[in-house]
Amino acid sequence: MINEENDFRKLDLTVGDVFSKDARLKARNVNVFYGNNKAIDNVTIDIGNKEVISFIGPSGCGKSTFLRCFNRMNDTIDTCRVEGKITLEDENIYDRKIDVVPLRARIGMVFQKPNPFPKSIYDNVAYGPRIHGLCENKDHLDGIVEQSLKRAGLWEEVNDRLLSAGTGLSGGQQQRLCIARAIAVSPEVILMDEPCSALDPIATAKIEELIHELGNEYSIVIVTHSMQQAARVSKRTAYFHLGKLIEVGKTKNIFTRPKHSQTEAYISGKIG
Amino acid sequence: MTNKLINPTRASEIVKNSIAKRRAKDNRLKLYGRIAIGFAVCFLIFLFSSIFIKGYPGFFQYYVTLDINFDRERIDPQGDLSDNSLFNGEASKIVNEALFTIIDPKGRKAKKQAKKMVSSGKDVRLTNLVKSNPNLFGTISSVKFALDDDIDSFLRGYIKRETPESERRISDQIIKFVDKLDKEGRISYEFSDYILNGSASGNPEMAGIKGAFFGSILTLSVCLLIAFPLGVATAVYLEEVAKKNKITELIEVNINNLAAVPSVVFGIMGLAIFISIFGMPRSIPLVGGMVLALMTLPTIIISSRAAIRAVPPSVRDAAYGIGASKLQVIFHHVIPLAMPGMLTGTIIGMAQALGETAPLLMIGMVAFIVDVPNSVMDPGTVLPVQIFMWADFAERMFIQKTSAAIIILLGFLISMNAFAIYLRKKLERRW
Repeated sequence: MINEENDFRKLDLTVGDVFSKDARLKARNVNVFYGNNKAIDNVTIDIGNKEVISFIGPSGCGKSTFLRCFNRMNDTIDTCRVEGKITLEDENIYDRKIDVVPLRARIGMVFQKPNPFPKSIYDNVAYGPRIHGLCENKDHLDGIVEQSLKRAGLWEEVNDRLLSAGTGLSGGQQQRLCIARAIAVSPEVILMDEPCSALDPIATAKIEELIHELGNEYSIVIVTHSMQQAARVSKRTAYFHLGKLIEVGKTKNIFTRPKHSQTEAYISGKIG
Repeated sequence: MTNKLINPTRASEIVKNSIAKRRAKDNRLKLYGRIAIGFAVCFLIFLFSSIFIKGYPGFFQYYVTLDINFDRERIDPQGDLSDNSLFNGEASKIVNEALFTIIDPKGRKAKKQAKKMVSSGKDVRLTNLVKSNPNLFGTISSVKFALDDDIDSFLRGYIKRETPESERRISDQIIKFVDKLDKEGRISYEFSDYILNGSASGNPEMAGIKGAFFGSILTLSVCLLIAFPLGVATAVYLEEVAKKNKITELIEVNINNLAAVPSVVFGIMGLAIFISIFGMPRSIPLVGGMVLALMTLPTIIISSRAAIRAVPPSVRDAAYGIGASKLQVIFHHVIPLAMPGMLTGTIIGMAQALGETAPLLMIGMVAFIVDVPNSVMDPGTVLPVQIFMWADFAERMFIQKTSAAIIILLGFLISMNAFAIYLRKKLERRW
C-alpha cells in the first residue's frame, strides 16, 4: 500500500483535514482546464463513506466544475480537460478502461435547475433502471419507482398521478423527482449542484431535510451558495477560492474557527 | 468636476417632450408593417383567385351525347372481350355513324370533317365501356363523348363565329354541325373525366394529370425515404457525436453552400452520376427521387440541426447524469424532442421537391409518357413538369388544363403540409 501522505505532491495551500479514514472517493492533484484556462488548481480531497460534504465558495471558484469531475460530466464539454486522479474504491475513474456509463450509475447527480425529462413522473424515475436493466419485471420496476419516490419524500404527493407529466410539478417537487430519479439506480454517491438555488425557502427546507436523511445511505457532495445551508446539512465543508481548495474541515469548525484567513473573510461576508 | 447629470425636473421634461416623437415612430413602424402585410395578402388573393378562375374551367369540358348501337358483332368480333378483339372491332366507326345520324353530313369532305368532331379517344371510351359493362351489348344506349378541343374552345367563345373562316381553326361546316347538335340538346358542359383519369396526351381534350400525379407520388416517396433518414442522421452526427473541429466546420460550411446551389445543378449531377456512370434508365422516378433527395438534404440537415440545438441541454445533462450512453441520449431524448422541428424542415424540403422542374428535365422526366408509372422503375413524369409541358403547347384548351393542373398541384401541396402539421402537433409533447 502506498502511503497516503506521499501519494500526492505536497499541497502548498489547503489547510485542514483533506483526508478521510473511510474514503469512498479520493481526488488527488486534480487540475481542470477549459481550453487554456485553469479552472481547478491542484485539488486533493477525500469524500467519506455515507458522509455529507458541502463545497462552498464565491461564484466562479470552480466548485461546480470540480463536482462534475466526480462523474465525468465534464466529458460532455469539448474544451474541458481533466488532469490528476480521482479514485472510486481504488479505481481511477479517469482510467482509459473505465466506461462512464456504469460510473454515472454509481455516482448520481442532481442539477442546479430541476430537469425532469418531458415524460411522466413514473417514466422519469423508471428511466435509469430501464436503461441499466436493473429491473426484472414490471412489478419490480413499480417497486423501484415507489421506493425511490418514497425516499425522495415525493410519494405521498404524487402517488395518484404517476402518469402525469413530471414537468407539471412545482419546482421543489421537480427537484425531489430528480433526486428520486438519481436514487432509482441505487448509486453510492449523489452529487448535488446547488440543488436549492432555484427553489423557495419551503421547498428548500424539504430538500435539506431529505439530504439529511439520505446522508445515512449515500455519500452526498453538495455544492451550495448558501453558507447556512452548508451549515445545516453537511458534516464536512470544503471552501474553494479561485479554483483552489483553501480549507477543508468539520463544518462546525469551518464556520466557527476557520484556520485560513480567506475562509474567514468569506464566512464573515468580506468576500464573495 | 462639473456635474454632467441633468437635474431630475429638466430630465423628465426632456423625456416628456420626446414622447410624442417616439410614439409617432412606433406608430409609423406599425403602419409600415400593416402596409407590407396588406400588400402580401393582396398579392396572395390576386394570385389564388386568378389561378382559380383560370383553372376552374379546366376541370370541365364539353361532351356530346350520342345514341350508340352496341352491336356485339361489330364491336367485339371474336366475342371474348379481349383487347385484340376489341381493337379489331369497329368502335370508332359505330360512334361516327351515331354522329352522322344526327348531323347528317353530305359529301365526303363534310363526313371527313364531321369524324374529327368527336375526340379521337372515342373508340377507347367505347371499348372500356363494354369491358366494364358487357350487359350493354345488344342495347341502344346514349353515351357521352368528349368533343374535339377546337370545338370546345369554340363553345367557350375563344374561337369566334365572326372571324373569317380562313383564319379560324374550325370551318363553317363544323360550326353548322355544332349548332345542330346544340339545338338537339346533345351538347353538355360537364366535369371532365379526363383531367383526373387521363395522362399525357397530344389531344388536349384527353389530357389529364393521372400519370404525372402518380409520378410525383413515387418520386417524392423515393426522395423522402432517402433524404429524411440521411438528413436526420447527418444532423444528429454533426450535433451530438462529432467533435467540433476544422473538418466538421468545413462540412458545415459546405452543407450551407449546398442549400444555395441552383437545383438544375443537382439535375446535371444526377445525369452525370446516376445515369451516365451507374447506367440507370432515364425518366424513372427512382432517379428523380434521388436527385431531389440530394437537393432537399441540405434543407433537412440545417433545420434538423437547429431543432437538435433547441433541445434544452438540461435534458441531455439529466440523461448523461443518470448514466445513459450517447446512443440512448440521442434516441430517447434528443430525437423525440427535436422531431417536430425536423419534420417541419422535411416538409419544407418536400414541398420544394414537389414543385421542382429543372433538375427533372435534366434526367429526362420531361418525356411524353402516356402510361401511369406503376413502380419507381417505370418511366414517368411529375406534376410541375407536366404543367411545364402543357404550358408549352399551342392549343387553347391546354391553357385551362395547365391552370387546372396548377390547382391540383397546389392542392397536393396544401394537403401535404396539412398532414405534416397534424403529425407535428401529434408528436409535440404536451408537457
